[in-house]
Amino acid sequence: MTLSPDETIMFMIWGIPVNATIFYTWIVMAVLTGASMLITRNLRPDVPPNRWRTALEVIVQGIQSQIEEISQGPSRHLLYFAGTLFLFVAVSNLLLVVPGFEPPTSSLSTTTALALSVLVAVPLFGITSRGLGGYFKTYLEPSFIMLPFNIISEFSRGISLAIRLYGNIMSGAVIAAILLTVAPFFFPVVMDLLGLLTGMIQAYIFAILATVYISSATKPANPSTTQKDNS
Amino acid sequence: MSIDWITVAAQLANFLALVWLLKRFLYRPILDGIDAREAEISERMQVAVHAKEKARAAEADYRAQLSTLQSEQASATEAVLRKAEEEKNALLAEAHDRVERERAAWAAHLNDEARAFTAKMHRAGGHALLELTRKALTDLADDTLEPRIAAHLGRKIAAMDTELQRAAGKPDEALVTSHEALPRSVQGEISATLRERFPDLNVRFETSAAMAPGLSLSLGGAQLSWTVDTYIDGLDALMADQLASGPDAMGGAR
Repeated sequence: MTLSPDETIMFMIWGIPVNATIFYTWIVMAVLTGASMLITRNLRPDVPPNRWRTALEVIVQGIQSQIEEISQGPSRHLLYFAGTLFLFVAVSNLLLVVPGFEPPTSSLSTTTALALSVLVAVPLFGITSRGLGGYFKTYLEPSFIMLPFNIISEFSRGISLAIRLYGNIMSGAVIAAILLTVAPFFFPVVMDLLGLLTGMIQAYIFAILATVYISSATKPANPSTTQKDNS
Repeated sequence: MSIDWITVAAQLANFLALVWLLKRFLYRPILDGIDAREAEISERMQVAVHAKEKARAAEADYRAQLSTLQSEQASATEAVLRKAEEEKNALLAEAHDRVERERAAWAAHLNDEARAFTAKMHRAGGHALLELTRKALTDLADDTLEPRIAAHLGRKIAAMDTELQRAAGKPDEALVTSHEALPRSVQGEISATLRERFPDLNVRFETSAAMAPGLSLSLGGAQLSWTVDTYIDGLDALMADQLASGPDAMGGAR
């Protein structure tokens, strides 16, 4: 039994091994992109929306409203980033019910990559919003003594994001695999159902936390809000 | 639990590629579609608001027109009613006039007919009275009417001798007119009676079919008649006096 799909080599492309993590990631990407292309291919203002397009609109607008609630303003770039995070993690975890499918989010490499992307996105969005000086000035707040703590906080947030998602998804998959050997007919189904729930929750948490981190970096300093948070 | 950094790099690339793909095929079409639809809805709302304002203006305009039409209709109706009333009154007045004229004409006609009938009745009554008198005289007294009339005329002339002479003056001729030709004896009797008052008098006798039975004497400026008509007129006057006096007078007369 392998704990990580990184160790499973699916096939080789020009001598480069493609492991299960990358392979199933491509499947998730294909599913998301294919479904989006299929639904939005005939999207014109004069064509009334069908039920699939309406479902996509509900999902996209739901994500957008959540992001706007947190960031206190419209931001399409943040939607592209955090929405993709949510959809990728959610679809990866939902495909857990497909027999033989190993969610890429059960690989620490995937969650680390996602956490790294958040880690890079936070300063990028911050610099874009506040400018270079404005962003790095936040590391010195409320005083320069807090600089090392702020840097540690920044990295620990990324690490906690990666470990939380990996631990939840991997543990669910591992527990289901163990129960499959002990009681192959009933418990794995229950655990898979539970895994679906925790998978959706983890996707939501991951995307929300990423949005919060990015929003806190882009938001201008508000003394009253800071005071309220500290209290 | 280990991290394969090559897989991490690949997953980073995959994630960035997915961000681009979803941006290209999901977010942008969906959000652009929503924006376009919202813009279209907003535009339609504006058009609807504009149309509503136009409709309200048109409604107000039509209401004003309707009010004007109603007031015009009311005044026109009132004018028509007034004109109809005037025409009705004129027609009624004309009808009343015509009825009055016809009634007057009818009354005149009735009066004419009554007069004609009365005259006819007078003539018929006179003839009947004359024939009855003739017959009574012939049957009861073996006498004729004309000598009796002549005798009566003589007595009347005698009774009003003074008045007759004053009215007649000094006449040269006397004309005695009767309905039928008088017998010679009666003519002689009348001539004698007249020549007793007027000695040189030329007495001439004529007949007139239009005249009622009896005698008419024209002497100078005097005119004296004794006919059935005058007799019946006298009777009529007597009856009219009796009727005018009331029932008591009639009862008394009875």
